[in-house]
Parts: sequence; structure tokens; C-alpha cells
Amino acid sequence: MKILDIALKDMLQSFRSVFAVMLMFVEPIMITGLIYFAFGGLGGGGSDGLDLPMTRVVVANQDQADATSGISAGNEVTKILQSEELADFLEVTMAEDEAAARAAIDDRKADVAVIIPAEFSKAMTVSGARATITLYHDPTLTLGPGIVKAVIDGIMDGFSGYKITADITEKQLARQGQTMGPDTLRALAISYTQWAQNQNTTEGASADPTISLRGPSGSRTPDDSPLAGILGPVMAGMLIFFVFFGGAYTAQSIVKEDEIGTLARLSTTPTPSATILGGKLVSVFLMVLVQSIVLLISSALIFKIQWGEPAGVIAMTLSMLVAAAGFGILVASFIRNTRQGGVMLGGVMTLCGMVGGLFTAGFNTPSGTFDIISRFVPHGWALDGWKLAMSRASISEVLVPAAVLLGMGVLFFVIGTMLFRKRFA
Amino acid sequence: MNNGKAIEVQDLHRHFGDIKAVQGVSFDVRQGEIFSLLGPNGAGKSTTISMLSCLLQPNAGDALVMGHSITRRPMEVKKAIGVVPQEIALYPDLTARENLAFWGKMYGLRGKTLGRRIDQVLEIIGLVEQQKRPAGKFSGGMKRRLNIGIALLHKPQVIIMDEPTVGIDPQSRRHILDNVKELNRQGMTVLYTTHYMEEAAELSDHIAIMDQGQIVASGTHDELVKIVGKQDRVELTINTESERVLPAWQAIDGVHKATATDSIITLLVDESDRVLPRLFEAAIEAKVHITSVTIQEPNLEAVFLHLTGRALRDG
Ligand SMILES: Nc1ncnc2c1ncn2[C@@H]1O[C@H](COP(=O)(O)OP(=O)(O)O)[C@@H](O)[C@H]1O
Ligand SMILES: [Mg+2]
Repeated sequence: MKILDIALKDMLQSFRSVFAVMLMFVEPIMITGLIYFAFGGLGGGGSDGLDLPMTRVVVANQDQADATSGISAGNEVTKILQSEELADFLEVTMAEDEAAARAAIDDRKADVAVIIPAEFSKAMTVSGARATITLYHDPTLTLGPGIVKAVIDGIMDGFSGYKITADITEKQLARQGQTMGPDTLRALAISYTQWAQNQNTTEGASADPTISLRGPSGSRTPDDSPLAGILGPVMAGMLIFFVFFGGAYTAQSIVKEDEIGTLARLSTTPTPSATILGGKLVSVFLMVLVQSIVLLISSALIFKIQWGEPAGVIAMTLSMLVAAAGFGILVASFIRNTRQGGVMLGGVMTLCGMVGGLFTAGFNTPSGTFDIISRFVPHGWALDGWKLAMSRASISEVLVPAAVLLGMGVLFFVIGTMLFRKRFA
Repeated sequence: MNNGKAIEVQDLHRHFGDIKAVQGVSFDVRQGEIFSLLGPNGAGKSTTISMLSCLLQPNAGDALVMGHSITRRPMEVKKAIGVVPQEIALYPDLTARENLAFWGKMYGLRGKTLGRRIDQVLEIIGLVEQQKRPAGKFSGGMKRRLNIGIALLHKPQVIIMDEPTVGIDPQSRRHILDNVKELNRQGMTVLYTTHYMEEAAELSDHIAIMDQGQIVASGTHDELVKIVGKQDRVELTINTESERVLPAWQAIDGVHKATATDSIITLLVDESDRVLPRLFEAAIEAKVHITSVTIQEPNLEAVFLHLTGRALRDG
């Protein structure tokens, strides 16, 4: 009972604090809202209401078809950018070379330059090779480049599906003492291309694409607007970032109570120290729970974000809850005082958010290395899980990141609690 | 209860690293009395109080509060006491009433009992009108009063107050001192710490003077004052060097100690009413003009000075 009294008192305090309410409830919705309005989402709901401004794209394709596989990835990218689907908001022209494309941007004749490097196709077939498509744009523009980046990310996603297949196959062979010869690789490339083509014919998307255009959130239903495809992950990123922040902020109140003397005063009342610490921990869980529910529901109502099937949403909400609370308690246990705490919380949370890919969610599908790095922080797993849930992946798929999150959360919680007990109890 | 003692402190010791904050403190507080610990900043009052309220473990010694050992039965002790910490400890974002409600719950009060008790306490501390305002917006004096109110909620047998009047306006201070007396009149035992000798003198049945972690003297106000005798302290300022009149004054019957700096002369005299006219006569004879006179009856300040050689105020 006293545990709850302490937790409820903490929540009451948070709701009285303008800063806390902004941090936990207003900002995540506001930031998503900015993107929503920037993309002209005022029409609301379905793709009909979508009113994206036209973006002028100039493409410099320096790629040659790969001799071994016959794939011309540069052409594919160009084709997709020029496809009818995108004609509503992308106006694509071709440039002779990189310099010409850049000049078009500098002269403000185009908004975004897409520079496809030479050897781009080759990079697609040679395992371990890298190729980078460069976007060049006026830094004051964010909307147009954002759309183009989202589209290209979707394309790269399709390519990397093929690349990953190749990588994995090669590794398995190597373990058996063999390496993959060019013939095997070629066979693989051909079979993948055929598979990809079949995928597309069944979907009946574009005329003759080798690679299908996929939204950053994975598969999508035909009704989905590009906006929803971007907004979902954006909101997921904001949800995760601010829920983790909210957890740490609430956990920090233990340090604050130590400073203002109320923690010591609590110890002069007939309340066991385990109850006091317990109450503070429960308040972190409750706060994060309320925050998650409010954000999930309000974003669904305001931005029509579909978080997924109930089972997936529940699994992700609960596991994110435990992870955010545990992480918050762990981080707060390292905070010496609240003056230092604000800076530290902001720093740690922003860093973890960046590593976890939260700020680029919706505009960027992580590349291989980044994908691995993001797994070091719970934020990365949470983003993964929510993307899966939103793409209505099977519950067993969602359960993987959810279980990892849960495990991380419990571990953080145990360590954080131990540190706090050493300090205050 | 046992032999009518609310608190029995037995040779408490506490150090922080090399700092010996409390070294061998013993005293008894009788049930129903106001007992003051008087001492300058850093004397070890708060450290003693913290041990009695089970916030700090003593390095040695023990104390019984309402018969319960602070080291062995802390929960029983906590139920019996209300603690008013020296630093204001409440939630600034919550209103006065919400603060009282929360702390009341921590003392195990609930529902209607709690509600009624909050009303009573608000009445006592004079914050009925302001109960819906956030505590953070209160003046220093109002915060101090709320800080005290929190400790009264569960009607403790013993209330321990650590310098509850520091840094507030005279009106709030008066209110608090009257509160303390009223609570005591209703039967609460009060352990009070202060570095203001007037407060100790006004409130206390018994006073222990503390300095550098030790009790240097204890007793009733009168008993303590007797340590320096019944002499009044007379301070005179004259318009010339003190040598012109000092020998004449020292010769007067009833004048004991005399010290002089430039034109200010301090005398310890038996009965100032009788001696003062003689001082003036002697001054006229020596053609010395007296520009100011102050008479101080013996007080705790003088006792502290006498015992430690230092002033109480600036510790
Ligand atoms: N937590 C602490 N850590 C280190 N020194 C302390 C601590 N608390 C008190 N002291 C020291 O112990 C001595 C007594 O302090 P305190 O009990 O607060 O005196 P008072 O309440 O009479 O002003 C002082 O020298 C003070 O600096
Ligand atoms: Mg003190």
C-alpha cells in the first residue's frame, strides 16, 4: 500500500511539472506532428488526402552493368525513381555526370541530386564490396530529400536482401572448408533475381523491375500511403526515445528526493527502506506504462498510425516497458546529482537513440554495420520490434526482439536496483 | 513508561572520517518536558538528532526512545517520534494538503482519520487558507510551519525539532514557538535544538549546552545561569580614555571584573540597581562623560562564553 502511495505521489508530481509533461507526452506527438504536417498530412487518413509537393530530382547514373551477373543496379534505381507510382511527387531528369548533377542543385534547377557510383552493380554482386549512393541537396531543404532518401532506402533494402543471401551462403560454405566460386555466385544472383521478379509480378507493381520498391517499414498493404510508411517508424522512434527518456527521468527522482531531503525524511517514518525504494521503482514502471499507452493511443488517433495486431502490440509494449524502466533505473543510479543529471540524461538518451536508429527511423533502413551496432542498445531492438509489429509480422517474429528487450530490461533493473540499494538503503 | 523518561541517551559517538561529530553524548529527556540542545553551528546537534531518529547509526553507544533502542528497534522508535528536519523536506510541486496527505500515509494514517487529522494540523500550523497552494510557492516561514506540521500528523509521543526557526521572519518564529509550547501543554515531549539562547531560555524545562561534539553543561535555565554567578554585565561607553575613570570604578563595592578597550568598559557587578548610581557619581567626579550604558542580566550566552571561551552566535 505504501509502495503505491509513493508511486502515485511521484506521478502526481510529474504531472504537475511542465517539463515532465512536455518531455513525456507532448514532444513525441509534436515532433511526429511536424513531420506529418510537413508531408501535408492534413487531409488525414488514406492516400487520397496525400498532397506531397513535387520534388525535382536529378540523377547521375555512372554505373555499368555487372559483367558476371548481367545486373544493372543503377538502371533499376533510375527506373524506380522514374516510375509512375512516384511521378506524383518526383520529377526526374538525368544528368551527364556527377558534376552536372551538382551544378543543377547549386543553380537551384533541381532539389535533390542522386549520384549512383560506377561499379554500383558490381558491388551488388561481389560479397563484402560497398557502394554508396550519394544524395546532394540544399541543406535548407529537408522534405524533398527526405522523400527521395526514403525511396532509395526502400530500394537498397531490396538489394541488401539479395546481398545478405549471398553473404550467408558464402559463410556457410566456408565453414565446410569450401569457398564460393564465381559460378555459384552467378547462379545465386540469377535465382535471386528470378525470385524477386516473381515477387513483383504477383504484386503487379511496376512494369519490369528487378527490385521491388518497399517502404522502410517492410511489407505494406496497397492502401498504405507513403506518408503512413514514413510516419509509422518516425512515431515508433519518438515513442521509444521518449519512453526511455521518461523512464530515466522518473528514476532520477530518487536522486532528487535525496537532494531535497525527503528521502531522509521518509526514513524517519515507520516505512522500511525496501518499501521506499520499491515505491520509487514502481513509479518508474507506472509512469512508463501510462506514457506508452497515451502515446500509442494518441498517435493512432491523430496520425492514424497502425501499430499492428493486438498480440504484437502488447508484446512490444510490455517488453519496451520493462526495458525502459530497467534502463532508466540503471542510468539514474549513476547520476550523482540532478544538476549533473540533466546533462547526463540528455546525453546518454540522445546517444542511445542515435545508435538505436530512432532519429532516422522512417527515413533510413540501417545498413549492415549499423544494424549490428544498433543491437547494442535496447532502443535498436525496440525499433526493430515495433517495425515488425507494424508490418503485421507473425507474433513469433515480434517475440524475438521483445524477448531480447525483456531480458535486457530485467538485467538493467537488477543492476540498477543493486546500485541504488547500496547508495540509499 | 519506564521511570518517566522519554529519551535516554547513553554515551553516543559518531564520526565522519576524521571529524568527530559526536563524542560521548549522554542526557535524559523526561516525559512531558521541553528539552533543548543549545550549541553553535557544528556542535553536533543535528548528528545527535539524526541518530535519535534512526537516520544515522551511532559508532558507539545507544539511546532509548520511549523505551525502544534506536539500534535494535528502529521501527518502534520511528512510530513513537515525529521528526522536523533542519532542512525543509517536503514536495514543492504538491500543495500543502497533498504534502500532509502523503506524509500521513507514510505514518500509517488513511481515509477519514487522515482527513480529519490534516484539518487539525493545518489549523495548528495556521495554513488552513493556503492549503491548496503548492508548497514551493510558500514563504520561508510557511514552509517551516508545514515542515513542522508533517511531523505532527500521527500525534507522536515525542517530537524532535532541529532548529525549526532558522532564517524566518519574526512573526512565523513567534507562531512556531507558541506551537511548540502548546503541543507540549497537550502532553507531547519535545526535544528541541537551537543556537538561539533566547529560544532555549523561553521554551525549555531542561537545557543541555553542546559544543564540539560534547555536552559541556546541562540543567534548568536557572541552574545553568548560576554557573556564571548572579552578576550582571554592565557595558559603558565614555567620551575619553578608560584610564581616567577605571580605577575609581574598580574601587566601588560590588564591582568585580573590569575589562576595557579604548572607551568601552565592561564590568561584572553584583547588583546593577545599587551600583549604577555610584558609577555615575564617580564619572562626574572624574569629569568623564558617559555616552551609553547597557545592562545584561546573566544569560546562557554568558554561560557558554564562560564554559568555552567563545561566543555562541558565530560558533
Ligand atoms: N554527513 C556528514 N559528513 C561529514 N561531516 C559531517 C556530516 N554531518 C555533519 N558533519 C560534521 O559534523 C560536525 C557536526 O555537525 P552537525 O551535527 O550538523 O552540527 P550542528 O547541527 O550542531 O550544527 C560538523 O563539523 C559537521 O561538519
Ligand atoms: Mg544542525
